[in-house]
Amino acid sequence: MKPENLLFAETHEWAHIAHEAGGQVATVGISAFAVEQLTDLVYMELPEVGATVAAGEEFGEVESVKAVSPLFSPVAGEVLAVNTELPDHLETLHASPYDKGWIARIRITDESCLTKLLDYAAYQKQCAAAGDDPA
Amino acid sequence: MNTARLITHTPSPGAWNMAVDEALLQSAAVTGTITLRVYGWSEPTLSLGYFQPYRDREYHAPSRPCVVVRRATGGGAIVHDHEVTYSLTAPTDGRLKRRLDDWYRLVHETWIRTLAELGIAAHRCLQTDPQKEQQFLCFHRRSAGDLLLGSAKIGGSAQRRHAQAVLQHGSLILKRSVAAPELAGIAELSGRDLSDRAWLDGWVSSLGQALNVCWQSGELTDEETRRAEELERTKFGHLRWTQRR
Repeated sequence: MKPENLLFAETHEWAHIAHEAGGQVATVGISAFAVEQLTDLVYMELPEVGATVAAGEEFGEVESVKAVSPLFSPVAGEVLAVNTELPDHLETLHASPYDKGWIARIRITDESCLTKLLDYAAYQKQCAAAGDDPA
Repeated sequence: MNTARLITHTPSPGAWNMAVDEALLQSAAVTGTITLRVYGWSEPTLSLGYFQPYRDREYHAPSRPCVVVRRATGGGAIVHDHEVTYSLTAPTDGRLKRRLDDWYRLVHETWIRTLAELGIAAHRCLQTDPQKEQQFLCFHRRSAGDLLLGSAKIGGSAQRRHAQAVLQHGSLILKRSVAAPELAGIAELSGRDLSDRAWLDGWVSSLGQALNVCWQSGELTDEETRRAEELERTKFGHLRWTQRR
């Protein structure tokens, strides 16, 4: 997926929104910028399938060599699936953050959460303001 | 220059120490307070990294008699005995005007400067050694920025990041522990006994300058104490947390 076609949370998670079976499903992951900032990832804890998450709620964790950081759900909904191969192949996040590095698929239950997400241009601006160029 | 709080605590049990650090992290997110806490351990204590399996402690015989706690931060296990331990908590709103990655460097560089004034030539590890990243003990691992004396690791730090605040805590080994006899401390490596801790004032002052903050001695607020007591009871002192993996 091209980052231009994704929505981004201020906390660096991305969401790709698709219409499925009368509803909206978000495929979510973390941005290339976030992966670059975290560096040397060693562990990841995924959300549980079936869990209900609120937008902005912590739904997973990732450990780099020096830091444990939370992952925040960019949307509100029910976790339909998780990328179970990802924790054993964290290098995928570097190689393919917007495709093979997806973390979870979430059935959106409250579409109003989408209005708080940024488009790619706005997200790039946020990253640049943080002192770095977005990847 | 920002004002920041300096808390010096007498040696305390491990679960309480971890609970206080997390209470300070939560407090930093709400109040914006920057806090440096310097503390110790009332008995030799093994702390597991957040993602380490509990059963792995069985492979390290010397620390089996130790009380065990699980940290909220990552990395390898640490035997806390003859060491200086600190925690630094601050909001992530840029008040410190530093990237989070810089915190390691700042703390460790101020350790290096302070130790140099005492005639001890420590230095930073230049490169992470991926082959050592799975070692059980943190001080057997080698990450870029770790504090080394010769080739021995004597100091390390780890972070827990939240949306609005970050906790970094770390340890500096002063002396070898019977619970980790394979790890030498500053005393064995340099012949200098720093256990009187008189030198700590110099380090705190140096860190304040590096962070551009002015320390003011303080204590936990009533709310932080209440929160720490709750976290000790429900999380860090509870087997559900310690044996969660």
